[in-house]
Amino acid sequence: MVESAPLWSVLVLPLVLGALAFAVAGLDAVVAARGLRGARGVGGARGGGAAGLGGAVRLAVTAPLRDTARLLVQRRRATTRPDPALWRLGGAVVFAAGPLAALVVPLGRYAVTDLSVGVVWFNAMEVGVWGGLWLAGWGANSAYSLVAGYRFVAQGLAYELPHMFALITAALGAESLRVGAIVDAQDGLWFVVWMPVGFVVFLVSAVAMAFWGPFSAPLGRDLAGGVLVELSGVDRLLILAGRWLLLVAAAGMSVALFLGGGHGPLLPAWLWTLVKTILVLAALVWARRRMPTVRMDRFEELAWMVLLPLSILQSLVVSVVVLMRAAS
Amino acid sequence: MDLRERLLCGAAGRPRPLIAVAPGGTRVRLAAERTVRTRGWVEADGPADADLLLVCGHPGPELAAAVERVWAAMPGPRARSQMVRAQGAADLVEVGRRGLADWPAARADVADRLSGMRIDGRPMADRAPDRDGLKLDVLHLPLGPILADWPAGLALRLVVQGDIVQEAESEVFAGSPSVGRDRPFWSESWLRAAGGERVTAGDAARRRAASHLDGLGRLLSVAGWPDAATTARGLRDGLLTGAASSTGIHRFVRRIDRSRTLRWLTDGLGVLDDAVARKHGVPGAAGDVTARWRRWLAETGACVAEFDRDDPLPGQTPAVGPRGLLGIGQAPSATLLDLLPGLVVGSDLAGARLIVASLDPDLDEVTHSDQLGGEPAPTRDGGR
Repeated sequence: MVESAPLWSVLVLPLVLGALAFAVAGLDAVVAARGLRGARGVGGARGGGAAGLGGAVRLAVTAPLRDTARLLVQRRRATTRPDPALWRLGGAVVFAAGPLAALVVPLGRYAVTDLSVGVVWFNAMEVGVWGGLWLAGWGANSAYSLVAGYRFVAQGLAYELPHMFALITAALGAESLRVGAIVDAQDGLWFVVWMPVGFVVFLVSAVAMAFWGPFSAPLGRDLAGGVLVELSGVDRLLILAGRWLLLVAAAGMSVALFLGGGHGPLLPAWLWTLVKTILVLAALVWARRRMPTVRMDRFEELAWMVLLPLSILQSLVVSVVVLMRAAS
Repeated sequence: MDLRERLLCGAAGRPRPLIAVAPGGTRVRLAAERTVRTRGWVEADGPADADLLLVCGHPGPELAAAVERVWAAMPGPRARSQMVRAQGAADLVEVGRRGLADWPAARADVADRLSGMRIDGRPMADRAPDRDGLKLDVLHLPLGPILADWPAGLALRLVVQGDIVQEAESEVFAGSPSVGRDRPFWSESWLRAAGGERVTAGDAARRRAASHLDGLGRLLSVAGWPDAATTARGLRDGLLTGAASSTGIHRFVRRIDRSRTLRWLTDGLGVLDDAVARKHGVPGAAGDVTARWRRWLAETGACVAEFDRDDPLPGQTPAVGPRGLLGIGQAPSATLLDLLPGLVVGSDLAGARLIVASLDPDLDEVTHSDQLGGEPAPTRDGGR
């Protein structure tokens, strides 16, 4: 039975999220370094410092630390005639969205707050990124960042409906919008078994929501960094850290909605949740290396013509099963 | 050491370099990229992201002014290195990196910087009808000359509405005129053979494969696939330093060729008619972006079989260089620059970047004066 945790858990949430975000950022750095060595060119003995397991662990710890240190000592920049308040606010909203959305994601048996409409809360908080990232792009008064902000709006248009249907499908399976009830309903059988399409669509849309990996066009290298083109220092750190936090929150939610939350033999519930979340994140990091960045003028068609009908069909199947279960 | 100094030293262990290249600086750029890659650093996307500026080659006056603007746009702490020779590049990169950890210099840099120039009173944007007949703001946006994964010395002056390119004009920022120029690096084997020197077919095959891998690295990086781009660049460095790996190249070619996602993303962009391409001596640029990168992959794979050939390259004219026919009066890259604006108009910014990356003009060829005994290519300085 998933329940709300006492009030002090609000302080534990940033630590857990931060630790997971740190771990996945380190894993990403290690996988990138392995790609460097796998190039079989002139790699040298150091190969980016990821030689062997010890080297990999050291790189996983030092790379995010060094990147954070670099951004903390870097000076902030100004452009000519930006909208300073909205520009900085955009970054702050992106940073706050992940932790706010994770308030309803349970760690084992406890969530910070197990709202009766937890699924809707999650969706509402991550939709805040639409406004935040676009403001961060528009506020800089720079052509590249404005174009990148609009890229994210197009991305939102593509992923949001399939995402919402995936959320609704999981809620239908448990006949409740409370995340705790959805986790409890997976006691015998995880939802991923009879809602595989919903799980895949949720993961794809979660990555698109976090503008990470194959969906990182708003921060694209072809636009010299996209939304980040004029940002440096703490402002840049806010958006980059916010992106990792969003990804972790979405992975945690996927575990709660489709992978049975804390259910599993032997280990305690909170450990199972952590293990499953880390596995989902590792799978995402592994898959990212194998794909280029998806452009919205191509993906829009795929999202509306393929992903959306599939997720609606999945909802239909789940509804029929639920009705038959209620009738019997 | 207080906290900021500690953070500075920690940060200097993993800088993000921005590599600014002048035409003629290809060898130096390759050495710098190899140094950066082997040390596991990630290149910066732009000046706001960068703390180490590596200038490769001798920039001309306009390009040097662009470099200064990029330097001014970099927030502190920052360091720069000017590299003119491939040999000492690694040491100069290290010197630059150590400059980053220098706390007193960082504080002095901050004190010297002006507080940022405010330019008020900008005129309002023009409005003009766009492709749907709507009246939209018109923005004059230059791509380059200093941009990540961009041909060195090229500036593409775009007129965009939204992010759709309405007009385009290419402009060349040349290297310094006072420095003697070597032959363009990528076409060197064929130019030397035409000049009477003995060049083995194996060397030419390696140079061609390395040129294609270099172009593929830029294209894959622009397409947002950093892993594949790094692999391509690693294979290129291996070819140029003599540690070529045939299995690695074949594996890479197979992996990218199989990528249906990349094909889906680049299909239909920047279509160049086959007959037009052949007429202008750039048959390798025919088709859309997908056709061009698949042709690069196929040619790279085919070159592997010829790496060990010892027979001399026939010094024929015209020779088939990596970018097109050499010795027909105009360098293939000059032809690509002429064709480029027409191909880019009508696409969005992302498509325009992919089209430029797939054509991959080498401005060393454009600014070099001796084209197999033909007419010297007209050097257009960036002063229009």
